[in-house]
Amino acid sequence: MGKITIPFGSQHVALPEPVSFLFDTQNEIISDVHVNLGYVHRGIEKAAITKFDYTNLAFLLTRVCGLCSITHASGYIHGLEYLLNAEISKRAEYLRMLVIELDRMHSHLLANGHVAEVVGYENLFMQTFRYREKVMEILERLTGNRVQFDYYTIGGVRRDIDLEDAKEIKKELLELKPKLEKLTEFFETDYTFGLKTKNIGKITKEMALEYGVVGPIARASGVKTDARAEYEYLPYNEIGYKLQTRKDGDVLARNLVRQDEILNSLEMCLNILDNLPEGEIKVKTKGRPKGEVFVRVEAPRGECFYYLKGNGSKIFERVRIRVPTYANLPILKDLFIGEKYSDAQAIVLSFDPCMSCTAR
Amino acid sequence: MKLNKFRKKSPWILHYNTGGCNGCDIEILASLAPKYDIERFGALNKGNPKQADILLVTGPVTKRCKDVLRRLYLQMPEPKVVVAMGACGHGGGVFRNFYHVENGVDNIIPVDVWIPGCAPRPEALIDGIVEAIEILQTKSKEKEYIRNHNEIIDKLGAKDD
Ligand code: SF4
Repeated sequence: MGKITIPFGSQHVALPEPVSFLFDTQNEIISDVHVNLGYVHRGIEKAAITKFDYTNLAFLLTRVCGLCSITHASGYIHGLEYLLNAEISKRAEYLRMLVIELDRMHSHLLANGHVAEVVGYENLFMQTFRYREKVMEILERLTGNRVQFDYYTIGGVRRDIDLEDAKEIKKELLELKPKLEKLTEFFETDYTFGLKTKNIGKITKEMALEYGVVGPIARASGVKTDARAEYEYLPYNEIGYKLQTRKDGDVLARNLVRQDEILNSLEMCLNILDNLPEGEIKVKTKGRPKGEVFVRVEAPRGECFYYLKGNGSKIFERVRIRVPTYANLPILKDLFIGEKYSDAQAIVLSFDPCMSCTAR
Repeated sequence: MKLNKFRKKSPWILHYNTGGCNGCDIEILASLAPKYDIERFGALNKGNPKQADILLVTGPVTKRCKDVLRRLYLQMPEPKVVVAMGACGHGGGVFRNFYHVENGVDNIIPVDVWIPGCAPRPEALIDGIVEAIEILQTKSKEKEYIRNHNEIIDKLGAKDD
Protein backbone atom coordinates (compact mmCIF):
# COMPACT_ATOMS: atom_id res chain seq x y z
CA MET A 1 0.00 0.00 0.00
CA GLY A 2 1.14 3.52 -0.68
CA LYS A 3 1.99 6.28 1.71
CA ILE A 4 -0.83 7.96 3.61
CA THR A 5 -0.37 11.22 5.44
CA ILE A 6 -2.43 11.65 8.59
CA PRO A 7 -2.61 14.97 10.41
CA PHE A 8 -2.73 14.96 14.21
CA GLY A 9 -3.50 18.48 15.40
CA SER A 10 -3.35 21.39 15.51
CA GLN A 11 -6.87 20.98 16.79
CA HIS A 12 -7.49 17.50 18.17
CA VAL A 13 -9.62 16.16 20.95
CA ALA A 14 -6.68 14.46 22.65
CA LEU A 15 -4.62 17.61 22.65
CA PRO A 16 -5.41 20.41 25.05
CA GLU A 17 -3.03 22.62 23.17
CA PRO A 18 -2.34 23.26 19.54
CA VAL A 19 0.62 21.44 18.06
CA SER A 20 0.57 19.72 14.75
CA PHE A 21 2.09 16.38 13.81
CA LEU A 22 1.91 15.15 10.24
CA PHE A 23 2.44 11.41 10.17
CA ASP A 24 3.43 9.63 6.98
CA THR A 25 2.18 6.11 7.42
CA GLN A 26 2.61 2.91 5.49
CA ASN A 27 0.24 0.15 6.54
CA GLU A 28 -0.35 1.79 9.89
CA ILE A 29 3.38 1.97 10.54
CA ILE A 30 4.73 5.50 10.83
CA SER A 31 7.49 6.13 8.35
CA ASP A 32 8.05 9.83 8.83
CA VAL A 33 6.75 12.68 10.93
CA HIS A 34 6.73 16.45 10.61
CA VAL A 35 6.23 18.49 13.73
CA ASN A 36 4.95 22.03 13.77
CA LEU A 37 5.23 23.84 17.05
CA GLY A 38 4.78 27.55 16.95
CA TYR A 39 1.02 27.83 17.23
CA VAL A 40 1.03 29.39 20.66
CA HIS A 41 3.98 31.71 20.31
CA ARG A 42 3.06 35.01 21.93
CA GLY A 43 6.41 36.72 22.21
CA ILE A 44 6.79 36.58 25.97
CA GLU A 45 10.57 36.92 26.05
CA LYS A 46 10.39 40.09 24.00
CA ALA A 47 7.64 41.55 26.15
CA ALA A 48 9.64 40.69 29.27
CA ILE A 49 12.36 43.09 28.22
CA THR A 50 10.15 45.85 26.88
CA LYS A 51 6.82 46.04 28.66
CA PHE A 52 7.24 44.75 32.20
CA ASP A 53 9.50 46.00 34.96
CA TYR A 54 11.07 43.60 37.39
CA THR A 55 8.45 44.00 40.11
CA ASN A 56 5.58 42.73 37.99
CA LEU A 57 7.38 40.53 35.51
CA ALA A 58 6.47 37.49 37.61
CA PHE A 59 2.82 37.95 36.70
CA LEU A 60 3.67 37.60 33.05
CA LEU A 61 6.11 34.73 33.47
CA THR A 62 3.69 32.60 35.48
CA ARG A 63 1.42 32.85 32.49
CA VAL A 64 3.97 31.17 30.29
CA CYS A 65 2.31 27.97 31.38
CA GLY A 66 -0.71 27.20 33.50
CA LEU A 67 0.36 23.77 34.64
CA CYS A 68 3.73 24.72 36.02
CA SER A 69 3.02 28.36 36.74
CA ILE A 70 4.80 28.12 40.07
CA THR A 71 7.95 26.80 38.37
CA HIS A 72 8.26 29.84 36.18
CA ALA A 73 7.69 32.10 39.13
CA SER A 74 10.35 30.26 41.09
CA GLY A 75 12.84 30.32 38.23
CA TYR A 76 12.48 34.04 37.85
CA ILE A 77 12.25 35.05 41.48
CA HIS A 78 15.15 32.90 42.66
CA GLY A 79 17.27 34.58 40.01
CA LEU A 80 16.04 38.03 40.93
CA GLU A 81 16.62 37.46 44.62
CA TYR A 82 20.16 36.40 43.88
CA LEU A 83 20.73 39.63 41.97
CA LEU A 84 19.22 41.68 44.79
CA ASN A 85 21.17 39.74 47.45
CA ALA A 86 17.99 38.97 49.34
CA GLU A 87 18.05 36.58 52.28
CA ILE A 88 14.83 34.56 52.38
CA SER A 89 13.36 33.33 55.62
CA LYS A 90 13.17 29.63 56.25
CA ARG A 91 9.42 29.67 56.60
CA ALA A 92 8.96 31.24 53.17
CA GLU A 93 11.25 28.63 51.66
CA TYR A 94 9.25 25.82 53.19
CA LEU A 95 5.96 27.29 52.02
CA ARG A 96 7.40 27.66 48.56
CA MET A 97 8.39 24.03 48.50
CA LEU A 98 4.95 23.04 49.72
CA VAL A 99 3.22 24.75 46.83
CA ILE A 100 5.77 23.56 44.28
CA GLU A 101 5.31 19.96 45.35
CA LEU A 102 1.51 20.21 45.37
CA ASP A 103 1.72 21.71 41.92
CA ARG A 104 3.88 18.80 40.80
CA MET A 105 1.32 16.38 42.15
CA HIS A 106 -1.57 17.86 40.26
CA SER A 107 0.43 18.19 37.09
CA HIS A 108 1.60 14.59 37.21
CA LEU A 109 -1.87 13.32 37.98
CA LEU A 110 -3.19 15.21 35.00
CA ALA A 111 -0.54 13.70 32.75
CA ASN A 112 -1.17 10.18 33.97
CA GLY A 113 -4.89 10.54 33.64
CA HIS A 114 -4.48 11.86 30.17
CA VAL A 115 -2.41 8.87 29.10
CA ALA A 116 -5.12 6.61 30.48
CA GLU A 117 -7.70 8.50 28.47
CA VAL A 118 -5.95 8.25 25.13
CA VAL A 119 -5.32 4.54 25.46
CA GLY A 120 -9.07 4.27 25.87
CA TYR A 121 -9.33 3.72 29.60
CA GLU A 122 -11.89 6.35 30.46
CA ASN A 123 -12.52 5.01 33.94
CA LEU A 124 -8.95 5.34 35.04
CA PHE A 125 -8.89 8.87 33.66
CA MET A 126 -11.90 9.79 35.74
CA GLN A 127 -10.45 8.17 38.84
CA THR A 128 -7.15 9.99 38.45
CA PHE A 129 -8.93 13.26 37.99
CA ARG A 130 -11.05 12.67 41.03
CA TYR A 131 -7.90 12.48 43.15
CA ARG A 132 -6.35 15.39 41.34
CA GLU A 133 -9.32 17.50 42.34
CA LYS A 134 -8.41 16.92 45.98
CA VAL A 135 -4.96 18.36 45.36
CA MET A 136 -6.53 21.33 43.63
CA GLU A 137 -8.72 21.95 46.65
CA ILE A 138 -5.68 21.98 48.90
CA LEU A 139 -3.92 24.38 46.56
CA GLU A 140 -6.89 26.67 46.53
CA ARG A 141 -7.06 26.67 50.30
CA LEU A 142 -3.39 27.49 50.46
CA THR A 143 -3.05 30.10 47.74
CA GLY A 144 -6.52 31.36 46.94
CA ASN A 145 -6.63 30.28 43.34
CA ARG A 146 -6.81 27.04 41.46
CA VAL A 147 -4.46 27.48 38.57
CA GLN A 148 -2.61 30.76 38.47
CA PHE A 149 -1.57 31.15 42.09
CA ASP A 150 0.92 34.01 41.90
CA TYR A 151 2.07 32.70 45.25
CA TYR A 152 5.68 33.71 44.86
CA THR A 153 6.56 37.27 45.53
CA ILE A 154 9.91 38.99 45.67
CA GLY A 155 11.35 38.23 49.09
CA GLY A 156 8.92 35.54 50.14
CA VAL A 157 5.41 34.31 49.60
CA ARG A 158 2.13 36.13 49.43
CA ARG A 159 0.09 34.25 51.98
CA ASP A 160 0.79 32.60 55.28
CA ILE A 161 -0.73 29.35 56.42
CA ASP A 162 -2.50 29.20 59.76
CA LEU A 163 -2.67 26.28 62.14
CA GLU A 164 -6.16 25.27 61.25
CA ASP A 165 -5.39 25.16 57.55
CA ALA A 166 -2.25 23.18 58.17
CA LYS A 167 -4.18 20.64 60.16
CA GLU A 168 -6.89 20.36 57.57
CA ILE A 169 -4.43 20.02 54.70
CA LYS A 170 -2.54 17.37 56.55
CA LYS A 171 -5.69 15.43 57.14
CA GLU A 172 -6.63 15.60 53.49
CA LEU A 173 -3.18 14.53 52.38
CA LEU A 174 -3.25 11.56 54.71
CA GLU A 175 -6.60 10.57 53.29
CA LEU A 176 -5.28 10.91 49.79
CA LYS A 177 -2.20 8.80 50.35
CA PRO A 178 -3.72 5.30 50.32
CA LYS A 179 -5.79 6.25 47.28
CA LEU A 180 -2.72 7.33 45.36
CA GLU A 181 -0.89 4.19 46.36
CA LYS A 182 -3.78 2.19 45.01
CA LEU A 183 -3.67 4.18 41.81
CA THR A 184 0.02 3.37 41.42
CA GLU A 185 -0.75 -0.29 41.88
CA PHE A 186 -3.46 0.00 39.29
CA PHE A 187 -1.20 1.54 36.71
CA GLU A 188 1.44 -1.04 37.44
CA THR A 189 -0.62 -4.20 37.37
CA ASP A 190 -3.63 -3.48 35.21
CA TYR A 191 -3.65 -5.84 32.26
CA THR A 192 -5.60 -3.71 29.82
CA PHE A 193 -3.59 -0.62 30.53
CA GLY A 194 -0.39 -2.62 30.13
CA LEU A 195 -1.38 -3.84 26.69
CA LYS A 196 -1.31 -0.36 25.28
CA THR A 197 1.64 0.99 27.21
CA LYS A 198 4.22 -1.76 27.81
CA ASN A 199 7.13 -1.67 25.37
CA ILE A 200 5.60 1.23 23.49
CA GLY A 201 7.78 4.20 22.71
CA LYS A 202 10.82 2.71 24.38
CA ILE A 203 13.76 4.99 25.22
CA THR A 204 16.94 3.25 26.25
CA LYS A 205 19.35 4.85 28.66
CA GLU A 206 21.88 5.50 25.88
CA MET A 207 19.26 7.16 23.74
CA ALA A 208 18.14 9.32 26.65
CA LEU A 209 21.69 10.46 27.30
CA GLU A 210 22.42 11.08 23.66
CA TYR A 211 19.35 13.24 23.13
CA GLY A 212 19.67 14.92 26.49
CA VAL A 213 16.12 14.37 27.61
CA VAL A 214 15.18 15.69 31.03
CA GLY A 215 12.68 15.15 33.77
CA PRO A 216 10.48 12.11 34.26
CA ILE A 217 11.18 10.97 30.72
CA ALA A 218 14.88 10.65 31.47
CA ARG A 219 14.26 9.18 34.89
CA ALA A 220 11.96 6.56 33.41
CA SER A 221 14.94 5.35 31.38
CA GLY A 222 17.18 5.13 34.42
CA VAL A 223 19.05 8.42 34.01
CA LYS A 224 19.64 10.01 37.38
CA THR A 225 18.92 13.65 36.71
CA ASP A 226 16.88 16.08 38.74
CA ALA A 227 17.50 19.76 39.28
CA ARG A 228 16.17 19.45 42.79
CA ALA A 229 19.14 17.25 43.67
CA GLU A 230 21.76 18.87 41.47
CA TYR A 231 21.13 22.50 42.13
CA GLU A 232 20.38 23.83 45.59
CA TYR A 233 17.70 26.41 45.09
CA LEU A 234 15.52 25.23 47.95
CA PRO A 235 16.45 23.00 50.89
CA TYR A 236 15.06 19.80 49.43
CA ASN A 237 17.44 17.56 51.34
CA GLU A 238 15.81 18.58 54.62
CA ILE A 239 12.36 17.33 53.77
CA GLY A 240 12.98 13.83 52.55
CA TYR A 241 13.45 14.25 48.83
CA LYS A 242 14.32 11.03 46.99
CA LEU A 243 15.25 10.68 43.37
CA GLN A 244 12.91 8.29 41.57
CA THR A 245 13.97 6.21 38.61
CA ARG A 246 12.60 3.33 36.58
CA LYS A 247 14.43 1.23 34.03
CA ASP A 248 12.10 0.32 31.20
CA GLY A 249 11.75 3.67 29.48
CA ASP A 250 8.39 2.91 27.87
CA VAL A 251 5.07 4.69 28.22
CA LEU A 252 4.22 2.67 31.29
CA ALA A 253 7.53 3.43 33.00
CA ARG A 254 7.03 7.12 32.42
CA ASN A 255 3.65 6.92 34.06
CA LEU A 256 5.05 4.98 36.96
CA VAL A 257 7.93 7.37 37.53
CA ARG A 258 5.42 10.16 37.73
CA GLN A 259 3.33 8.13 40.09
CA ASP A 260 6.38 7.49 42.32
CA GLU A 261 7.16 11.17 42.32
CA ILE A 262 3.63 12.00 43.35
CA LEU A 263 4.00 9.78 46.38
CA ASN A 264 7.38 11.27 47.19
CA SER A 265 5.94 14.77 46.85
CA LEU A 266 3.13 13.85 49.16
CA GLU A 267 5.62 12.59 51.70
CA MET A 268 7.55 15.85 51.41
CA CYS A 269 4.40 17.92 51.87
CA LEU A 270 3.62 16.05 55.07
CA ASN A 271 7.16 16.62 56.30
CA ILE A 272 6.92 20.32 55.52
CA LEU A 273 3.66 20.66 57.41
CA ASP A 274 5.14 18.85 60.41
CA ASN A 275 8.33 20.89 60.54
CA LEU A 276 7.21 24.31 59.42
CA PRO A 277 9.67 26.82 60.90
CA GLU A 278 8.45 30.00 62.54
CA GLY A 279 9.29 33.39 61.14
CA GLU A 280 8.39 36.04 58.62
CA ILE A 281 6.96 35.04 55.27
CA LYS A 282 8.32 38.02 53.44
CA VAL A 283 11.41 40.18 53.65
CA LYS A 284 11.92 43.58 52.13
CA THR A 285 14.36 43.84 49.25
CA LYS A 286 16.34 46.81 48.11
CA GLY A 287 17.89 47.94 44.88
CA ARG A 288 17.49 47.01 41.27
CA PRO A 289 18.71 43.92 39.48
CA LYS A 290 22.21 44.27 38.13
CA GLY A 291 24.37 41.51 36.71
CA GLU A 292 23.77 38.10 35.25
CA VAL A 293 22.42 34.93 36.76
CA PHE A 294 21.19 31.57 35.62
CA VAL A 295 18.80 29.38 37.52
CA ARG A 296 17.83 25.77 37.11
CA VAL A 297 14.61 24.63 38.69
CA GLU A 298 12.79 21.35 38.39
CA ALA A 299 9.45 21.76 36.69
CA PRO A 300 7.01 18.84 36.69
CA ARG A 301 8.25 18.05 33.21
CA GLY A 302 11.93 18.37 33.89
CA GLU A 303 14.58 20.95 34.24
CA CYS A 304 13.61 24.54 33.50
CA PHE A 305 16.39 27.00 32.87
CA TYR A 306 16.26 30.73 33.41
CA TYR A 307 18.84 33.28 32.41
CA LEU A 308 18.44 36.87 33.58
CA LYS A 309 20.56 39.86 32.76
CA GLY A 310 19.89 43.17 34.44
CA ASN A 311 21.68 46.48 33.98
CA GLY A 312 20.54 48.36 37.05
CA SER A 313 17.44 49.77 35.45
CA LYS A 314 13.87 48.69 36.05
CA ILE A 315 13.64 46.55 32.98
CA PHE A 316 15.78 43.49 32.36
CA GLU A 317 18.14 43.43 29.45
CA ARG A 318 17.56 39.78 28.66
CA VAL A 319 15.25 37.08 29.97
CA ARG A 320 15.89 33.68 28.50
CA ILE A 321 13.70 30.69 29.29
CA ARG A 322 14.52 27.15 28.27
CA VAL A 323 11.72 24.81 29.14
CA PRO A 324 11.81 21.04 29.64
CA THR A 325 9.46 20.13 26.81
CA TYR A 326 11.81 21.82 24.39
CA ALA A 327 14.59 19.45 25.41
CA ASN A 328 12.30 16.44 25.17
CA LEU A 329 10.93 17.02 21.70
CA PRO A 330 13.79 15.96 19.39
CA ILE A 331 13.68 12.37 20.58
CA LEU A 332 9.99 12.12 19.66
CA LYS A 333 10.74 11.86 15.98
CA ASP A 334 13.03 8.92 16.55
CA LEU A 335 10.45 7.23 18.70
CA PHE A 336 7.62 7.57 16.26
CA ILE A 337 9.30 6.02 13.27
CA GLY A 338 8.48 2.34 13.21
CA GLU A 339 5.62 2.55 15.70
CA LYS A 340 1.97 2.00 14.88
CA TYR A 341 -0.13 5.07 14.28
CA SER A 342 -2.60 3.95 16.91
CA ASP A 343 0.12 4.27 19.55
CA ALA A 344 1.16 7.76 18.53
CA GLN A 345 -1.24 9.52 20.86
CA ALA A 346 -0.09 7.58 23.88
CA ILE A 347 3.54 8.32 23.07
CA VAL A 348 2.94 12.03 22.66
CA LEU A 349 0.95 12.32 25.84
CA SER A 350 3.32 10.19 27.89
CA PHE A 351 5.80 12.99 27.28
CA ASP A 352 3.32 15.32 28.87
CA PRO A 353 4.16 17.98 26.32
CA CYS A 354 3.53 21.58 27.25
CA MET A 355 3.30 23.68 24.14
CA SER A 356 2.60 27.00 25.75
CA CYS A 357 5.95 26.61 27.52
CA THR A 358 7.76 25.52 24.41
CA ALA A 359 6.54 28.15 22.02
CA ARG A 360 6.05 30.86 24.65
CA MET B 1 -39.44 22.80 17.52
CA LYS B 2 -38.32 19.32 18.44
CA LEU B 3 -34.84 19.88 17.16
CA ASN B 4 -34.31 22.76 19.51
CA LYS B 5 -35.25 20.61 22.45
CA PHE B 6 -32.69 18.00 21.52
CA ARG B 7 -30.08 20.65 21.04
CA LYS B 8 -30.71 21.90 24.51
CA LYS B 9 -30.06 18.48 25.96
CA SER B 10 -26.90 17.70 24.08
CA PRO B 11 -24.71 20.66 23.29
CA TRP B 12 -21.39 19.39 22.01
CA ILE B 13 -18.33 21.42 22.67
CA LEU B 14 -15.40 22.09 20.43
CA HIS B 15 -12.46 23.37 22.38
CA TYR B 16 -9.58 25.24 20.85
CA ASN B 17 -6.65 26.91 22.54
CA THR B 18 -5.44 29.88 20.60
CA GLY B 19 -2.31 30.62 22.57
CA GLY B 20 -3.32 30.87 26.19
CA CYS B 21 -1.19 29.54 28.98
CA ASN B 22 -3.24 26.30 29.13
CA GLY B 23 -4.44 27.20 32.60
CA CYS B 24 -7.91 27.53 31.15
CA ASP B 25 -7.59 24.29 29.25
CA ILE B 26 -6.84 22.27 32.33
CA GLU B 27 -9.87 23.81 33.98
CA ILE B 28 -11.90 22.53 31.05
CA LEU B 29 -10.43 19.09 31.65
CA ALA B 30 -11.23 19.42 35.33
CA SER B 31 -14.83 20.23 34.57
CA LEU B 32 -15.10 17.03 32.53
CA ALA B 33 -13.94 15.10 35.58
CA PRO B 34 -16.22 13.67 38.29
CA LYS B 35 -16.35 16.63 40.63
CA TYR B 36 -17.85 19.14 38.23
CA ASP B 37 -19.02 16.73 35.56
CA ILE B 38 -20.17 18.95 32.75
CA GLU B 39 -21.77 15.91 31.14
CA ARG B 40 -24.71 16.51 33.45
CA PHE B 41 -25.82 19.10 30.92
CA GLY B 42 -25.28 16.72 28.06
CA ALA B 43 -22.16 18.55 27.05
CA LEU B 44 -19.37 16.45 25.61
CA ASN B 45 -15.98 17.61 24.43
CA LYS B 46 -15.78 16.57 20.79
CA GLY B 47 -12.92 17.19 18.45
CA ASN B 48 -14.95 17.56 15.31
CA PRO B 49 -16.13 21.04 14.32
CA LYS B 50 -18.81 19.61 12.07
CA GLN B 51 -20.56 18.01 15.01
CA ALA B 52 -20.18 20.81 17.51
CA ASP B 53 -22.66 23.40 18.77
CA ILE B 54 -20.47 25.42 21.09
CA LEU B 55 -17.01 26.69 20.22
CA LEU B 56 -15.06 27.17 23.41
CA VAL B 57 -12.03 29.36 22.76
CA THR B 58 -9.25 30.08 25.21
CA GLY B 59 -6.29 32.33 24.68
CA PRO B 60 -5.52 35.68 23.11
CA VAL B 61 -5.41 34.37 19.49
CA THR B 62 -1.90 34.35 18.16
CA LYS B 63 -1.28 35.27 14.54
CA ARG B 64 -0.56 31.65 13.79
CA CYS B 65 -3.81 30.38 15.29
CA LYS B 66 -5.96 33.02 13.68
CA ASP B 67 -6.52 31.10 10.51
CA VAL B 68 -7.25 27.82 12.23
CA LEU B 69 -9.78 29.49 14.50
CA ARG B 70 -11.52 31.11 11.58
CA ARG B 71 -11.72 27.85 9.75
CA LEU B 72 -13.07 25.99 12.73
CA TYR B 73 -15.73 28.64 13.11
CA LEU B 74 -16.74 28.44 9.48
CA GLN B 75 -16.83 24.66 9.52
CA MET B 76 -19.30 24.52 12.37
CA PRO B 77 -22.92 24.22 11.27
CA GLU B 78 -25.51 26.83 12.22
CA PRO B 79 -26.75 27.49 14.83
CA LYS B 80 -23.55 27.89 16.81
CA VAL B 81 -22.43 29.76 19.87
CA VAL B 82 -18.94 31.03 20.61
CA VAL B 83 -17.73 31.15 24.18
CA ALA B 84 -14.54 33.02 24.99
CA MET B 85 -12.95 31.77 28.17
CA GLY B 86 -10.41 33.55 30.31
CA ALA B 87 -9.04 37.04 30.64
CA CYS B 88 -6.68 36.66 27.73
CA GLY B 89 -9.52 35.86 25.37
CA HIS B 90 -11.03 39.20 26.31
CA GLY B 91 -8.82 41.66 24.55
CA GLY B 92 -5.57 39.88 25.21
CA GLY B 93 -5.35 40.05 28.99
CA VAL B 94 -1.77 39.95 30.14
CA PHE B 95 -0.64 39.37 26.56
CA ARG B 96 -2.25 42.52 25.18
CA ASN B 97 -0.35 44.18 22.36
CA PHE B 98 2.39 41.58 22.15
CA TYR B 99 3.79 41.38 18.67
CA HIS B 100 2.32 37.99 17.84
CA VAL B 101 -1.09 38.43 19.42
CA GLU B 102 -4.42 39.55 17.96
CA ASN B 103 -5.86 40.92 21.24
CA GLY B 104 -8.81 38.72 21.89
CA VAL B 105 -11.24 36.37 20.24
CA ASP B 106 -13.76 38.94 19.05
CA ASN B 107 -11.22 40.48 16.74
CA ILE B 108 -11.47 37.32 14.69
CA ILE B 109 -14.93 35.82 15.18
CA PRO B 110 -18.12 37.06 16.87
CA VAL B 111 -18.42 36.03 20.52
CA ASP B 112 -21.68 35.32 22.38
CA VAL B 113 -20.59 34.49 25.92
CA TRP B 114 -17.65 35.78 27.91
CA ILE B 115 -16.27 33.91 30.90
CA PRO B 116 -14.08 36.18 33.03
CA GLY B 117 -11.19 35.14 35.23
CA CYS B 118 -7.59 34.05 34.95
CA ALA B 119 -8.13 31.17 35.09
CA PRO B 120 -11.93 31.03 35.47
CA ARG B 121 -13.14 28.51 38.01
CA PRO B 122 -14.94 25.43 36.68
CA GLU B 123 -18.13 26.82 38.21
CA ALA B 124 -17.76 29.90 36.04
CA LEU B 125 -17.17 27.70 33.03
CA ILE B 126 -20.34 25.72 33.73
CA ASP B 127 -22.23 28.98 34.13
CA GLY B 128 -20.97 30.11 30.75
CA ILE B 129 -21.91 26.85 29.09
CA VAL B 130 -25.41 27.01 30.53
CA GLU B 131 -25.77 30.52 29.21
CA ALA B 132 -24.49 29.37 25.85
CA ILE B 133 -27.15 26.67 25.76
CA GLU B 134 -29.81 29.30 26.29
CA ILE B 135 -28.44 31.42 23.50
CA LEU B 136 -28.24 28.36 21.27
CA GLN B 137 -31.99 27.90 21.62
CA THR B 138 -32.77 31.38 20.45
CA LYS B 139 -30.76 30.81 17.30
CA SER B 140 -31.92 28.66 14.46
CA LYS B 141 -30.64 27.57 11.12
CA GLU B 142 -33.09 29.80 9.25
CA LYS B 143 -32.37 32.88 11.30
CA GLU B 144 -28.64 32.52 11.12
CA TYR B 145 -28.57 31.60 7.46
CA ILE B 146 -26.19 34.10 6.01
CA ARG B 147 -27.59 35.85 3.00
CA ASN B 148 -24.58 37.99 2.35
CA HIS B 149 -22.37 34.97 2.58
CA ASN B 150 -19.63 36.20 0.27
CA GLU B 151 -19.39 39.52 2.01
CA ILE B 152 -18.91 37.90 5.38
CA ILE B 153 -16.36 35.49 4.07
CA ASP B 154 -14.53 38.48 2.65
CA LYS B 155 -14.71 40.24 5.97
CA LEU B 156 -13.32 37.26 7.77
CA GLY B 157 -10.59 37.19 5.20
CA ALA B 158 -11.15 33.53 4.55
CA LYS B 159 -11.59 33.56 0.81
CA ASP B 160 -9.01 30.91 0.02
CA ASP B 161 -9.79 28.56 2.88
S1 SF4 C 1 -6.94 33.58 30.96
FE1 SF4 C 1 -5.16 33.30 32.29
S2 SF4 C 1 -5.22 31.13 32.83
FE2 SF4 C 1 -6.54 31.37 31.05
S3 SF4 C 1 -5.22 30.94 29.29
FE3 SF4 C 1 -5.19 33.16 29.62
S4 SF4 C 1 -3.40 33.54 30.90
FE4 SF4 C 1 -3.89 31.36 31.06
